[in-house]
Amino acid sequence: MYAVDTPPQKTAEPARPEPRRVNRVRRRSQRDARTAWLLSLPTLLILAALLAYPLYRMIVLSFQNMRLRELITGLTPPWVGLDQYTKALTDGVFWGVVARTAAFTVVSVTISVLLGLGIALLMRRVHSKVRLFMMIAMMFVWALPALVAAQAFRWLTDSDFGVLNYLIDKIPGVDFANHSWFVNPWEGWAVITTLVVWAGIPFLAISLSAGLTQVPKELLEAATVDGASAWQSLRNITLPILKPLLTIVTTLSVIWNFGLFTQNWALRDGHPEPVYQTLATFSYTQAFGQSRYSYGSAISVITVLLMLGVMAFYIRQMFKIGEVD
Amino acid sequence: MKRKIAVAAALAATLFGAAACGGSSDSDEGATSANATVDGKGKTLKVWLMVDAETAWKGVVEDATKRFTEATGAQVNVEYQQWANHLTKLDATLAGTDVPDVVELGNTEFSKYVFNGGFAELNKGDFENSDTWLTGLAGACELDGKTYCVPYYAGARVLIYRTDLFKAAGIADAPKTYADFLSAADKLQTANAKDKKFSAFYMPGQYWYAAMSWVKSKGGEIATKDGDKWVGQLSSPASQQGLQEWVDVTKKYSKADVTKNENEQAGIFAQGSGGMFYGNGWEQGTAEEVRKDPNDPTSELVPTKIKGKLAAAPMPEIPSFLGGSNLGVTQKSANKELAAQWIKAFTDSKSMEGLIKANALPNSTALLDKAAENPAIKNPALAAKSSWFPPNAEKWADVEKASILQTMLTDILTGKKTVADGAKWADEQINATLNEA
Amino acid sequence: MARHDEGVITVGRSRAGTVAANTAGIIFGLFMLFPVYWVLNTAFKPEAEVKSFSPTFLPQSPTLDNFRSALGEELFIPAMINGLIITAMAVAAALVVGFLAALAIARFQFYGRKAIILIVLAVQLVPFLALLIPLFLMLQRAQLTDSLPGVALVYLVLLLPYTVWTLRGFISGIPRELDEAAMIDGCTRAQVFWKIILPLTGPGLVATSVYGFIQAWNEFIIINTLNSPENQNLMAWLLYNQTERGTAWGPLMAGAIITSIPVVIFFLLIQRNIATGLTAGAVKG
Repeated sequence: MYAVDTPPQKTAEPARPEPRRVNRVRRRSQRDARTAWLLSLPTLLILAALLAYPLYRMIVLSFQNMRLRELITGLTPPWVGLDQYTKALTDGVFWGVVARTAAFTVVSVTISVLLGLGIALLMRRVHSKVRLFMMIAMMFVWALPALVAAQAFRWLTDSDFGVLNYLIDKIPGVDFANHSWFVNPWEGWAVITTLVVWAGIPFLAISLSAGLTQVPKELLEAATVDGASAWQSLRNITLPILKPLLTIVTTLSVIWNFGLFTQNWALRDGHPEPVYQTLATFSYTQAFGQSRYSYGSAISVITVLLMLGVMAFYIRQMFKIGEVD
Repeated sequence: MKRKIAVAAALAATLFGAAACGGSSDSDEGATSANATVDGKGKTLKVWLMVDAETAWKGVVEDATKRFTEATGAQVNVEYQQWANHLTKLDATLAGTDVPDVVELGNTEFSKYVFNGGFAELNKGDFENSDTWLTGLAGACELDGKTYCVPYYAGARVLIYRTDLFKAAGIADAPKTYADFLSAADKLQTANAKDKKFSAFYMPGQYWYAAMSWVKSKGGEIATKDGDKWVGQLSSPASQQGLQEWVDVTKKYSKADVTKNENEQAGIFAQGSGGMFYGNGWEQGTAEEVRKDPNDPTSELVPTKIKGKLAAAPMPEIPSFLGGSNLGVTQKSANKELAAQWIKAFTDSKSMEGLIKANALPNSTALLDKAAENPAIKNPALAAKSSWFPPNAEKWADVEKASILQTMLTDILTGKKTVADGAKWADEQINATLNEA
Repeated sequence: MARHDEGVITVGRSRAGTVAANTAGIIFGLFMLFPVYWVLNTAFKPEAEVKSFSPTFLPQSPTLDNFRSALGEELFIPAMINGLIITAMAVAAALVVGFLAALAIARFQFYGRKAIILIVLAVQLVPFLALLIPLFLMLQRAQLTDSLPGVALVYLVLLLPYTVWTLRGFISGIPRELDEAAMIDGCTRAQVFWKIILPLTGPGLVATSVYGFIQAWNEFIIINTLNSPENQNLMAWLLYNQTERGTAWGPLMAGAIITSIPVVIFFLLIQRNIATGLTAGAVKG
């Protein structure tokens, strides 16, 4: 369909000096365009049917009021205009969730990226055997499925049988027997953040350490000879070279952590209390727990809108650094 | 461009249009009879029971099914469901066309589905003991004077305590009054002061069935209906008094995690660092013995540290929450009459006797005395006689799903909110949820 | 310039500093590994040692009971088989469909190419959970919930953008001169594809499919919402198993290990590819 519809002129390369070649090139590129579109068609169709269309459905749903009755009976949900959005945007609880999700994202990404960078730098200074050990440790953590990692942390921090309480309790004068890590939201979020950072560091440290190999050794050595301190070399040589990569991994971390679901879901045993809700879990519980499918959709739409800026920034960055040619 | 829109429209029509007219919420087709003569030959009923039936009274299921098959010629395919996430699965399935004919749900879960047209109307008089059904179970089955499900079994909560620790602390008997209970707790606390994990009365912070029992003991309520509006009642003086008492007891005698619910309490109590706890009758057994293989309900039982050291008694002056399950025939079932007949066989007196033998409480007050003859469920049977159940509101299940009460309890126990503030907050949430259009 | 003098290089890198760095590296590694170690430790303990107020750092009487229990659990083996089927379907479809699109973007210059790249990149960033509600309703109407193909279809969409993107990278890595030379020798485009591009992309296909396997294998929220317990994968089994009355931690940890083994092995096999394709977007740890 597309191949037929596409006007051939538009696909032609800018005019070349030799007229005959232009013709050949034009004919060739015409055929190429058709083949290329044919090749891309299955992918585009699948994405349209199972991504674009649900996206559209989600938006439609958010203007309706679909509940359990409509689900069971198949009746068309009533149209309610902007009600779901008004409900969300005037609800303190919803804004609390937005603020919490944003705060968690900022804190966890900052810690992860700083630690990741620190570990990457550290790996350059240690003995090769230590470096190998660090790599192996990180690879294991990276390979671990997110849910398994979350379950492991739930077990470590269990108030009755968890080894963390047992160890802390061993410190003289500290009573951590039966300590519940999720009573105080600050402590609970510290556990969740630790889990997310712990699981996220391998990606950051390993990719940044790959990036560091592109910093010319000679440059650093020269700087040292010139009397630059380690900090100065880092600030003025290493970081500028690392900047594009750093931007990309930071943006990705933002996108991932903003969608936090698995970790708080599993650590709170499938029913996170209000203080442990993030946008993803909130939308999910509203829709599938409370049968408020439309309200859940509205929250999803808002979530996507909130992330749009970050995503656009990421894509622009990808084009800019030439990952996309 | 136009073509694209047309394609999208056609796609939309096939996916949604046709189905939108397919379902019917027609509930005026009259009650389904459980006494009709139906030839069920060649038909197979799909029955969803919760996993408890598989682990504890599979024989009763098989016996009822056998009698049913002899009478009708229809086969029965029982699928056992897990409690975790069973509602999500039910939602998804009811939305489709291949639905189970009979579904078991917890008594507090039923109203929502009855109200939303998920279950078919039944003829109450067709079922044995229907005039003496436990109201705590049957309440959820009623809507506008019609009956949509059948009570199945019940469970009630009792005080479970360590006989050896009682003796060591100089407590002669199971507490008979609430004052006795408090003094027993005090004595246990003093006698075991050395164990810093010791809970004289183990009470997890999100155990809302327990907390609400204390509320009920003072004459408080969770919510009451005023005209066609539900009004949260936790802020009422009586409710607050009950909450306060529960909070005091929990803070003073329990080292339990205030963010955990009661699911794991028997296993934690089995570690030996507890004097008393409040649980279902069967939890005494869970605390004394564990399956060698927790994933295999037939594996051998291994005694815990406290094997033979437990006894149960009714919790003095605290009415028990009546938990349990009901059975309903789905509105979309193609074999409604057969399904009703199977339920009839599975809930008749003969089946109920089997349940009693398997240490479950029967669905009728008339059978409770019989249940009390079984020493294992004597105390729960007594407790069931003075029991309560949550508001019979269409959206009650949403209150449970939103963890409103659990959140309130944790907030109060941690001092984040006072009893008054917590109750006020919960009332607001309950009002909003139960009255949502 | 005699730069490589020992003294110069180690300026600012005192012995004490090196020792400190090595110590920090080792502590970091141990910190990372501790949860993994604790999962293993728990999995080999008998129930009495698992549920103990004084946990020991090695199993006192090591046992395989927990593994037997997990494997013997009614739904465990079915979940494993389901997972394999779904994963195989989704990965195979993503590979075939994705390869074609990757070929188009990598080898053709055409009007709309940038747009396709943009779509492929953007789509990877859409929070997929947000689409769960309409997907659930759509599959519901199509009677595809509680079925393996339904989930496989959703996973296909999950994997497709990443597959296109990484394969594009691999194809671009094949020098164009090879194509051109072959065409000068009289090969058609199709022959070039079969004889040159496909064989040379082999390692890329392997890496991409392994990565797709990991993604699909680790997913649990979608399948947990769409399917009943009988049609879950192992990851969802881990989630279900925890919310039963009281968590059976020993078997759960054993199940977690069994579930992780294929992923860890695969991951280590292709870690080089993952490290090079790091920033491609969907490679999530």
